Amino acid sequence: MPELLIAAFWLWAAGLLFALARMTGVARWLIVLGVTSGLWSAFGALPAGGGWLNLPVALADQVVRLHYSPEALWLMGFGLVPAALAAALCTPIQRARPAWLVGAALSLLGALGIYGVQDAYSFLIAWELMSLGGAVMILSESTSLEAGRRTLYMLALLEVGAVSILLALLLLAQHDGGAVAFDGFALGAHTLSTSARIVIGVLALFGFGAKLGLLPFYEWFPGAYGNGSGATGAILSGVVLNAAFFALSRTLVDWLGSGSGLSTLGIIVTTIGTLTSILAALYAFQQDDWRRLLAFSSAENAAIAVTAIGASILFRAGGENALAGLAWTVAVLHLSGHALAKGGMFVGADGVYSAGGTYRLAQRGWLRRANWVFGLGTLFAAMSLSAMPPQIGFVTEWFTFQTLFQGFHLATLGGRLTLALAGAGLALTAAIAFATFIKAFGIGLLGDGHRPQAARIGSGYASAALLLGLAVLAAAVGMPLWLHGLEGANVTQFGANAARAMTTGWLLVPLTDTFAFISPTLLVIVMPLIALLPLLLLLNGRRHAVRRARVWYGGLQEDPERSATTSLTFSNAMRTFYSFIYRPTADTAREHRAVAYFISKLQFEHDVADVFGPALFDPIRKAVWRLAGRLRALQSGDLNFYLGLIGALLIVILALTLR
Amino acid sequence: MQFMYAWFPTGSDAPELRYVLHPGRGQTPHIWRCRSGAESPPSLAPAAPLLSWYERETTDLCGVAFRDQPVPDPLVLLPGAAAERPPLMPGPLPHLSYTPVPLPMPDLAGTTREDVQLLPFGPVRADVLESTQLAFYYIGEAILHYQPRLFFKHRGMEKRFEGLSPALGTVLAERVSGVGSVAHALAYCHALEAASRCEVPSRATWLRVLLAELERLYNHLHYLGYLCHTTTLKVGEAQGKYLEELAKQVNCQISGSRLLRGLVVPGGVRREPTLLTLAEDLVRIEHELRRYADQLAATSSHLDRLITTGVLDRQLAFDQGATGPVERASGIDRDSRRDQPYGAYDELPLSVAVRDGCDAHARQQVRVEEITHSIALIRAVLDGLPEGSLRADCRPPPGGEGLGWAETPRGTAYYAVHLDTAGRLARVKIKSPSFSNWRVFPYTVHGTNMMDYAINEASFGLTVAGCDR
Amino acid sequence: MAMKVIPLWTLYGLARGKATTRWCGEDAEPGQAGYLGMPRFDQAKCQQGCRECVDTCLPGAITFCPDASKQRLTVDYGRCVVCQLCVEACPTGALTSSTDWAFGSRRREDLVWTRAAASTDGMTLKREIRRVFGRSLHIRHVDAGSCNGCESELQALNNPYYNLHRFGVFFTPSPRFADLLLVTGPVTYAMRGPLLEAYEAMPDPRFVMAAGTCAVSGGTNGGGYACDNGLEELLPVDVFLPGCPPNPPAIIHALLMLLQRSPQRVQGGQIGPADEHPEDDYA
Repeated sequence: MPELLIAAFWLWAAGLLFALARMTGVARWLIVLGVTSGLWSAFGALPAGGGWLNLPVALADQVVRLHYSPEALWLMGFGLVPAALAAALCTPIQRARPAWLVGAALSLLGALGIYGVQDAYSFLIAWELMSLGGAVMILSESTSLEAGRRTLYMLALLEVGAVSILLALLLLAQHDGGAVAFDGFALGAHTLSTSARIVIGVLALFGFGAKLGLLPFYEWFPGAYGNGSGATGAILSGVVLNAAFFALSRTLVDWLGSGSGLSTLGIIVTTIGTLTSILAALYAFQQDDWRRLLAFSSAENAAIAVTAIGASILFRAGGENALAGLAWTVAVLHLSGHALAKGGMFVGADGVYSAGGTYRLAQRGWLRRANWVFGLGTLFAAMSLSAMPPQIGFVTEWFTFQTLFQGFHLATLGGRLTLALAGAGLALTAAIAFATFIKAFGIGLLGDGHRPQAARIGSGYASAALLLGLAVLAAAVGMPLWLHGLEGANVTQFGANAARAMTTGWLLVPLTDTFAFISPTLLVIVMPLIALLPLLLLLNGRRHAVRRARVWYGGLQEDPERSATTSLTFSNAMRTFYSFIYRPTADTAREHRAVAYFISKLQFEHDVADVFGPALFDPIRKAVWRLAGRLRALQSGDLNFYLGLIGALLIVILALTLR
Repeated sequence: MQFMYAWFPTGSDAPELRYVLHPGRGQTPHIWRCRSGAESPPSLAPAAPLLSWYERETTDLCGVAFRDQPVPDPLVLLPGAAAERPPLMPGPLPHLSYTPVPLPMPDLAGTTREDVQLLPFGPVRADVLESTQLAFYYIGEAILHYQPRLFFKHRGMEKRFEGLSPALGTVLAERVSGVGSVAHALAYCHALEAASRCEVPSRATWLRVLLAELERLYNHLHYLGYLCHTTTLKVGEAQGKYLEELAKQVNCQISGSRLLRGLVVPGGVRREPTLLTLAEDLVRIEHELRRYADQLAATSSHLDRLITTGVLDRQLAFDQGATGPVERASGIDRDSRRDQPYGAYDELPLSVAVRDGCDAHARQQVRVEEITHSIALIRAVLDGLPEGSLRADCRPPPGGEGLGWAETPRGTAYYAVHLDTAGRLARVKIKSPSFSNWRVFPYTVHGTNMMDYAINEASFGLTVAGCDR
Repeated sequence: MAMKVIPLWTLYGLARGKATTRWCGEDAEPGQAGYLGMPRFDQAKCQQGCRECVDTCLPGAITFCPDASKQRLTVDYGRCVVCQLCVEACPTGALTSSTDWAFGSRRREDLVWTRAAASTDGMTLKREIRRVFGRSLHIRHVDAGSCNGCESELQALNNPYYNLHRFGVFFTPSPRFADLLLVTGPVTYAMRGPLLEAYEAMPDPRFVMAAGTCAVSGGTNGGGYACDNGLEELLPVDVFLPGCPPNPPAIIHALLMLLQRSPQRVQGGQIGPADEHPEDDYA
């Protein structure tokens, strides 16, 4: 069935053309159809993986050939589920739709390439296409100067990342005797020196990290995402994020995964992953905009997967191939589950925006103003992202911890220590993420503080949220079955079938059931049984007459308008506690009558400071500006200057040829 | 400036304003009188901020509006309460209607308006506490702005005095602020004695000092226990409350009332207190106290919570008229027992505790020192108690008026008394110390954090009953 | 420099020993020596036509019986603020000081002086309270405009001396889990709403206690333009406890009385003999 992927390619290309022709309706459904056929083929081809496909496009007279490995299909498939719904719902901003569909199609085409192409040239083109698509989507939705500046800043950073990827690929190609096809990269890289391996690894980490939001890039992430819609977010943190992760995993694990210098590389990757997850989680918690919060959270989840990749490299360095396979599988699982759950939240955010006109997190009683399935879907998604059983997020996060806990199998102190610290770091991350989604769901959806006259959330958003929520649950409950899909990938990469060893009947185990086990499948059966007790008590209570009293409010009538918990009051305590990271600012201006004692008006502003912005990005940006200012002379339009330039050039050429 | 009030001279519907000033140590108070004409009087609050509350109270109760009052909201009558006519105007009791309205707070502006939460507590608060509502502009742990909404307990006490015989007024004065019964009764009696120019026998003045200092003793011991409660020093809390209980039992033994009620009367004291075991009991309390106070002063977990908490700088304390241990902890050396001496204080060895730490710790230090001073004063009274009669005849002349004051454990209380032509009480103005200190307190809360709030409030030692009347 | 000793509060507390008294519920309760309670009235000594005590009674606890043709005094301890002025004023010794404090009563009329002891039906009310609450009680206190005297004594209940917790009686922060609404003060216009709101917020079965003379009848502070005259017209009161303020043993006695762990001792405005307590099981 992989041939359907070619169909997807054509459908998206057609969608792109129709969108360019501003035929929004047709373009939209062509793209959705493409996503569906992509989904169908991706899951249909598991666990074997796809054969070779020829893309009827020639690059430099060479036919582009595609080959999809099982993990590529897996990651793409999970990423396409929210993409299908996002494309179907489209951006909630009407005027942006044609351009947005262009961006979406570009992103999808690029991602399709990244999962499949097997040579460096095509890969880079696909990568650029994907970045461009993301930028087009965001720019289409927000046309303000500030939004444009931030999006172009994102593109610039992605280009810096692309240069880094280019360098890494060139170095790998050089070791493969100059061939740009990927099939020889692994063999060639086996003989790399320790330092060369680390340099290539770090280049890849930097380059792909720009897209994944790894340290230090997680800071631009929300700046750009925060101007897009939920639909954009669902595509960017689903299929696109997974593609970037797939590319990173292929570089680090497939190509660089054997030979010398592995432990150092593993320690670097694990450290970067852990630190990113903590920082991204901390900043996610402080956001009061749906999109920014979810964007930081995407960076955090990508970082958790990268941490698991780091663990995989460390296990490989220690000769623990089974554990390496486990860690890698866990990373793949984590991002696949994340794509579903994050998609659900982004769809929810769009539902809020389409009804209320703002992405601000505030108590507006949205659950009350939506079909109940909307609440169910977003609740499941939020539970998953905060790692609550039995959802998929709980399963994958549990697996992540179980993997890191097995660091004691390693012989080296460095490896053990790194994994132990990573475990502690991820524990902190998990706690903050938990609080973050309590806040997002509690204040953003459940809370009913303000009651302005507002529209209800549309049934389209409710259904989409429900579908994704149920997918989150199904992914967890059926995990023992779904894991078969990754068996093929495991054997080829690690010579050990981790995916098969991760289940025992309906139990999920980290290779052995003597260490630990869980079973979301059984939990789903047992949890309703446990709920019987309170339900019976509730029924029993109905025998007595119920007298309902108002909410106790210290003796006065409740004033929910003004006294609802706000996004800031929920998170300010953490801001104070972690002030050495946040470096929060708060300015209060007091207006008064007559003398300062009679305060009549308060003006309050607050913010948290970026970690890398002022120290790293700002100096670089300033340097670039300065350089650009100097080079502007080249565009001065002064004829004499150009003549002088041509003269100087001639002299140089003459000097070179007459040597 | 101390305070101002309005009263209606006999047979007049036009109120007269009285401004009371105490110019300095050892000088008698100045009283400015002002009859308002057709035009409403100007607000003096911009010049003397402490007058703001008095002017608003006068507007509520006497119907006098002040021009350019910076905060034109009602104060003593809650927003939403409306009296048919100003309650203190002579005539039949007005009916008071009341529809609760949301608490007025300063406006919020700025892009982050939605980030600020209004967090109200009360008027029925956790624990056994007096009723008052506390409203915070809350931003998560931090307090942006704080506004107490007092006067839920406004009982119209000043009106209750009207028409009573001066002697019976003492019973009422004792019940204005229960834990300041002696000082309130003293200030009231001093006002009557000033009106009637009667000479209180010296034995009575000495006994009054004894009662007033016993009141200070049990209040300050309660204060220490409660402060430990807010810093979660459990044993310290128990010990403070236990010492307070011992002091109250001593009160009971001496006067028959645990709050020392029923002894002070215009012209002297009503009966001989039972002083047999007082010296012995004092030794016991002092012994326990010394160890307790030393422990408190050396407990870093307790001190950490107090030092730099609730900073009240000297200028603010002065401008807003902070009084008692609160102002003395902000470096203002004022104490009416020494500066405007009454009773037997000028015959006794009186020290005044002053600190300039301006924080909750300084307020604790002042009170601990005042406890030892009070014990010393009680001892001095026991040693040198003169013989003689207990009571002089005190009948204020019809139409007379007088001003009296006394230093309560919380600061200076003033009573201004006017009598009608029949020699009955026509107007009694009560200026309680908590009225002043509640006004000061919010300025020490703005911009601080919630964890410190309870400690800060406890360190001020406020009562609501005295403030609300 | 003197050596600084780090205080060991736990040791210090242990060394102070136990301060709690043995509760005996009698007038001779330790720590109450010298207490002047409700003055006793002896009608036989009362002099016809004398109105000295009536004139000195600010809250109007002593009044002339309005309906009787001959002048006879009505003494209502529910209005008494124990100022003792009547005792000083009485020329014949009909009113004498006493230490009586156990004035907790289930019926308001038990606080009015009568010659004959009243019937005991007031004592069997609310039989089921023992079944519902066991021996424990959770109290929500509402200050409805007191002078802070009653609060001072209520706060004293939790000091080591009275240690109310030993009786299984606790103050709760919220009325949501309170059994008893303990009200002080004459009920100001502004506290009327919050008071009713607190009562409304309590789960059934719920009880109300008027603590202090203000809450029972308004006392000296009730009435006027800003106050009601106590609780009686607002809420169904289960226990009346006059006193200004009632001392801690009186409050404890009233609470135990509500829980049927102690008998009512006041009848017809007089304290009965203390030894009639068949169902007493003092902690």
